[in-house]
Amino acid sequence: MALAEGPATPADVGTFHRFAFAGKAKEYFGIWIVNVLLTIVTLGIYSAWAKVRRNRYFYGNTVLLGRAFDYHARGKQILIGRLIVLGALIALNIIAQLVPILVLLPTVVVLIALPWLVAKGLRFSARVTSYRNVRFDFVGGAGGAFKAFIVGGLLTVLTLGILAPLASRWVARYVGTNLRYGGRAFDTDPKLGALYPSWFLSLLVAVMGLAIVAAVAVVSLPSLQGIFEAGDSATPESQWSIIAVIMFGYISLFVVFGIAGTVYRAGVRNAVWSSSTFEQRHRFLSDVSRRRYTWIAVSNVIVTILTLGLMRPWAAVRMARYQAEHTGVTIVGDVGELIGRIESQGSAVGSEFIDFEGFDFGF
Amino acid sequence: MASEERRIARGDWHPAGASNSAEAWLVESGGALSATAIGDAASLTLPTDAAEISARVGSIPRRVTFPDGSVFETWDNDGIDAYLARSGRGGAGVVHWLEQFRLRLAGIVVLALLLGTAVYRFGLPALVELAVWATPPVVPELMAQGTLETLDRTMFSPTALPDSTVKEIKDGFARIVAASPRGEGGYALHFRAGGLIGPNAFALPDGTIVMTDELVELADGDTEMLMGVLAHEIGHVDLQHSLRQLYRAAGIAGLVMLVAGDIGAGAEDVLVDGSALLVLSYSRSAEAEADRHSVELMLKAGYDPAAIVRFFTLIEEKLGDRSETSMFSTHPGTPDRKKAILDYAAILKGQSDPHLQ
Repeated sequence: MALAEGPATPADVGTFHRFAFAGKAKEYFGIWIVNVLLTIVTLGIYSAWAKVRRNRYFYGNTVLLGRAFDYHARGKQILIGRLIVLGALIALNIIAQLVPILVLLPTVVVLIALPWLVAKGLRFSARVTSYRNVRFDFVGGAGGAFKAFIVGGLLTVLTLGILAPLASRWVARYVGTNLRYGGRAFDTDPKLGALYPSWFLSLLVAVMGLAIVAAVAVVSLPSLQGIFEAGDSATPESQWSIIAVIMFGYISLFVVFGIAGTVYRAGVRNAVWSSSTFEQRHRFLSDVSRRRYTWIAVSNVIVTILTLGLMRPWAAVRMARYQAEHTGVTIVGDVGELIGRIESQGSAVGSEFIDFEGFDFGF
Repeated sequence: MASEERRIARGDWHPAGASNSAEAWLVESGGALSATAIGDAASLTLPTDAAEISARVGSIPRRVTFPDGSVFETWDNDGIDAYLARSGRGGAGVVHWLEQFRLRLAGIVVLALLLGTAVYRFGLPALVELAVWATPPVVPELMAQGTLETLDRTMFSPTALPDSTVKEIKDGFARIVAASPRGEGGYALHFRAGGLIGPNAFALPDGTIVMTDELVELADGDTEMLMGVLAHEIGHVDLQHSLRQLYRAAGIAGLVMLVAGDIGAGAEDVLVDGSALLVLSYSRSAEAEADRHSVELMLKAGYDPAAIVRFFTLIEEKLGDRSETSMFSTHPGTPDRKKAILDYAAILKGQSDPHLQ
């Protein structure tokens, strides 16, 4: 069949380009520790500017076709957005404390406002991101965010995680199909068949982990019994050993589900990126290894904790490099022609208004 | 015409809003900046002194935005910094100077650790004190109201104690209340059948103190011991422990959130959960404070100041709690607590003993 149609020209097949990450742990360490120091010295106010420097470093070192991404948010812009959200939360909580009937008010308001804030946050993140002098944009509304994040999240919880891939699909589609670059659309549609294998693997990891925790619990059963019997009469004085046991149980569950979740996230990342296109033609690819990705994530957390945070810059750069190197795009047709056509669209330009970055979904 | 034109850096120039770019030089001429094409040296922008140069972050590309909206982008950070230094605009800037991987960075690490510890040890408690001071009294009252209503609906049932017992305890309570700063009316004692809560006594921030029937039965007629427990609870009220704990939890959560973006999601979860543990361990010092308060109050009211120790002995006998204070325990181990109370009672007695003065 291929013979009958003649050899495919490079223009039809396209050229594949991988992302690269040029950041260095040593360099980022300086930026990171100065961020931490200035944030402490200014009692947190500098954290908005710290975020700008951090994001500029990571975006500016993420390179595609020899050119880096850029992050344009201003510290002041972020600070004002944060103050508004913080002020609203404080006001809500004060009202809830003063009027006991309204104790659920903050929860209700946040649940209602959440989709709106997510949509705003995504738009902010997109609009402050540029590549080759052209900004991204996000056109999704609160309705889509409600379905993807709230309904999807509820379905996941109600089905004990069985429908998590459906929620992942909704989120990916909401983010992917509403993203714009120079006014042109992206598209994302990860199939459930591509998401469920990772979900099963993650389930397997969780079951094995829980089996280990259960084995440990059985071995130490005699001493546990003592603790709970002593706690039966439930004076506060005797309840603390129970709390210690609960804490240990909680930590082991945290570790098990953390690892299982990371395995799943790696698989979702591959499925989502690999089903994404730009202008319906240029196809993205993610080929992270679930095992390697999980290893990097887990060892990063361990090393960060053991070094009291000092190796966090190394960990962050390590993960960013791995992700970038396992992400790419196949550009169909002439790259120069594509670049020549892309121009900023009015709505995304000059968006120097205050927006809420509270929900951060980096590119 | 082209008077001493000086090339600053080589990079890419984009027309306003375009992804398209041309290789270009950033040139300086008589204090004004412009971009010129590399091939034919044609001017791409008008010379200007109003171009905006992005701040240096590591070695990511620098962006020079011209007033006409066109953008020159270059990886040549050193070229740009040299120009900024020449034109008296401070080169790469103070923040970048601090960030460089030099020996002074070790000083910054130490400073960050010290200041972080200082904020946690001194700044946070000071902020908590400030918040407690600024809180109008109506807040603890409203906090308490809801709590007792909820407990009455879910856990408690009305007391089944004989009136004579209730009266005896209330009389004793009046005696220690008379010696307390808030005085009569500042505290209210309630009795409830505890249900699942069992033998217990607790204080709400507005001065409401609840004692369960089960605790009274456990005391087996030792009213003085119950007074010791009540004086301990009055201590929680007087020292505003619940309000302090609330503000402390909020403060720690705030601190974690502020550095959160820089520590990664995994470590952030660990910190948030760890801080919950820290707040619990704060209650250890609160318990010790309330114990001392009990000793002082009992002495003032003319009771045995160490009466609460009998309560701990009772717990030890009935419940077998002989655990030492460990790193993870939020309450001091009972033996440690008893010893601390007896020591403190001995000191206070010594001070008030006329023979020793």
